[in-house]
Amino acid sequence: MSGATLASLNATVKRFGRITALDQLSLSIGRGELLALLGPNGAGKSTAINILLGLQRPDAGTAELFGQDPQDLDARRRVGIMMQEVGLSPAMRPREMIEQVSNYYHSPYEVDAVIKRLSLESLADRRYQQLSGGQKRQVQFGMAICGRPQLLFLDEPSVGMDVTAKAALWEVVRDLKREGCSIVLTTHNLEEAEALADRVAFIMHGKLVASGTVDEIRAVVSRKTVSFRSALPLDSIRAWPEVEELQDLSGRLQIFTRDAEAVLRRLLGGDSQVRDIEVRRAGLAEAFTELTK
Amino acid sequence: MNTAANYSSLGSSRLLGAYLGDIKFEFVKMMRTPAFIVPTLFFPAMFYVLFGVIMGGGNPDAAMHTFARMGVFGTMAPGLFGFGVSLAFEREYGLMTFKQALPTPPGSYLVARMAVAMAMAAMISILLSLLAVFVAHAPLTFLQAVKIFVVEVFGVLPFCAIGLFVGAMVSGQAAPAVVNIIYLPMAFLSGLWVPFQYLPIALLKDLAPLWPSFHLSQIALGAIGMESYGSFGSHVAALVGVTLLFFTIAMRKLSGGGLYLFGARRPGAGFPVGKVISIGVIAISIGLVIAGVMSGHEKVPAATSKVATQEDGTPVAGSSSGAPVGVAAPDTPALGDFDAGSVAVGYGLGWQAADDKLRGGNSSVQQKLFAGGASGSKSALEVSGTIGDAIQYPFGGTVFFPQGSSTADYAKWGFMDYSKRQRLKFQARGDGQQYLVLFTGPVVDAIPAMFYFTAGPEWQEVSVPLQELGALDLERVKMIGIGTMKPGLFRFQVDDVRIE
Repeated sequence: MSGATLASLNATVKRFGRITALDQLSLSIGRGELLALLGPNGAGKSTAINILLGLQRPDAGTAELFGQDPQDLDARRRVGIMMQEVGLSPAMRPREMIEQVSNYYHSPYEVDAVIKRLSLESLADRRYQQLSGGQKRQVQFGMAICGRPQLLFLDEPSVGMDVTAKAALWEVVRDLKREGCSIVLTTHNLEEAEALADRVAFIMHGKLVASGTVDEIRAVVSRKTVSFRSALPLDSIRAWPEVEELQDLSGRLQIFTRDAEAVLRRLLGGDSQVRDIEVRRAGLAEAFTELTK
Repeated sequence: MNTAANYSSLGSSRLLGAYLGDIKFEFVKMMRTPAFIVPTLFFPAMFYVLFGVIMGGGNPDAAMHTFARMGVFGTMAPGLFGFGVSLAFEREYGLMTFKQALPTPPGSYLVARMAVAMAMAAMISILLSLLAVFVAHAPLTFLQAVKIFVVEVFGVLPFCAIGLFVGAMVSGQAAPAVVNIIYLPMAFLSGLWVPFQYLPIALLKDLAPLWPSFHLSQIALGAIGMESYGSFGSHVAALVGVTLLFFTIAMRKLSGGGLYLFGARRPGAGFPVGKVISIGVIAISIGLVIAGVMSGHEKVPAATSKVATQEDGTPVAGSSSGAPVGVAAPDTPALGDFDAGSVAVGYGLGWQAADDKLRGGNSSVQQKLFAGGASGSKSALEVSGTIGDAIQYPFGGTVFFPQGSSTADYAKWGFMDYSKRQRLKFQARGDGQQYLVLFTGPVVDAIPAMFYFTAGPEWQEVSVPLQELGALDLERVKMIGIGTMKPGLFRFQVDDVRIE
């Protein structure tokens, strides 16, 4: 087992009939890092995770979890899992569910400590079926972290959670990372990836399209957006050579450009009444759009 | 940072804890699912009270027979529903996949489910035993209750395997219906509602050994000393075969869908070991099932030959058995003078009322002691009742098993050697109808040796010439009975029975 890599896919191929879900995908998760796995639906994210968890076997290439076959129980005893859609027993209580899962691990956290850490005290002794969707996700998160995992797989963790619960979840994720836990996050919520991820991997059609830190990914997109309110006619703005794209968001105009400074000079020179100017560099959302074009 | 060493295994105590935890929470789930526990526990009990107690009319044989059959009925449900319905749902809702992604110890899902199914069967068994003893007043001994408990607790396993098979095959929506379609008809066709001998169509009767519940019920009947069909070995073979067969097919089906209840198997190097093993197991289990099914219909001669459970058989001479000669009869000629206020004889089980309910008849019989016996003796035995017309050879009367015992099963009751005796004598009087004395020996199907007499209004001695009676194997007498086969009301009294 190499020192820094906890899990990896190496030129992994997975086919389902005629569809190639993973096409020579290589991916690695280092110690203490949070990797966000991004990509459109059907890109191969779930297949990649399933192979790393030993739920599916690659048709070609290899998958390693802690230097072992992912189907080795010993490897999975270091892993915590929060799946996207799982129907847990409605009659069970969260405290019991966390206890049952923690039994499978070598040195789990105390059940009460998990409950306290996630502020689940008021839910812990209710029936699972009585919980809301967001509360169920919190319990599932508790089940994921209770085994003191070295590597945590989180699949759309904050779906259904309210703002407070989401913020609390992010806080715990950051804490876990500080404690040395590595995390693989799959999410549609780019804001979540931006807030948490050290590294982002874009997957499309089973291939790795881009990978790097959030800043590096942002840099893939050198465009910035300049938005403002102005009386200038749209056609004359569109005629500026620096403008790559112009959008009219009900009165507020938005320009995509690689030379924001030049656009600003033209704006201020051309319209003394220009208001509400805002310049933003590209976020993951723009990068995502750019990459998936 | 953790190193590989301290994570590489759980250690036996934590591993045991993981299994026990899964069992514990499986119980918790079950206890919180009244829709599962209430019908599973109380239907067999309710049906037992209905068929064995209320409709059984206090007949101890009926109470015993129904006890065995309803116990098996109760044994079927926990495995079929616990595995069939739950697994189908858990597969559909991704719980099985989640459990597989977690480091769940190998087989703990099966172990926990099986433990719960066995515990349910245990509860049902105890509940029915209590009902049998305290409500139905069945002559159930403690040993028999223990035996039936073991039979039923382990008897859940073939039904767990069938449940697993259903759960692996069908969707969660379809599973309850599919399980019921298996459960209820199988219970009926294997003779749990009515003994299989009395199934309405001959074909159904012949096909009864196809159903695993038939084999379990015959084991159960044998365990409490009732007449049963097929040998213990053949039933075990059929049940083990069924268990292995369905278990293996279910495992293959699940692993085809990416679910490995015992953890995933590494892809073998070229040679498909798993496949070969499963095909081998399937072949062996089919062989076992066929072997068990084919011998399922043979009646066990060692089972009870009590008149009330005897089949309507062809006349076979009573001496055609290779059974060893019975125990030499005690010197005393007395076979009951009823003066001590009891029906006891110096040996055996004493005189007991017997009817034909277990053979499907509707005769009813009572017996009682009354003051003022023959020749001024203190008391005598009166037997009365109604002979029904539900079966071809009805019977009602009083019977005596010389080697009967309250501690052993009917099947183990031996024979008595009366070959030195000349005559069975007793005093009789009654309603003027014709009655008969009958003797049975080791051959269950044989028509018993019979001697007719008329019971008039006055006491008079009946003397049966034993040595001249046809088809009587005096060296091997299992039972002596006095009664009638003629439909209608009857009443007779006997006193001072002697065999000289």
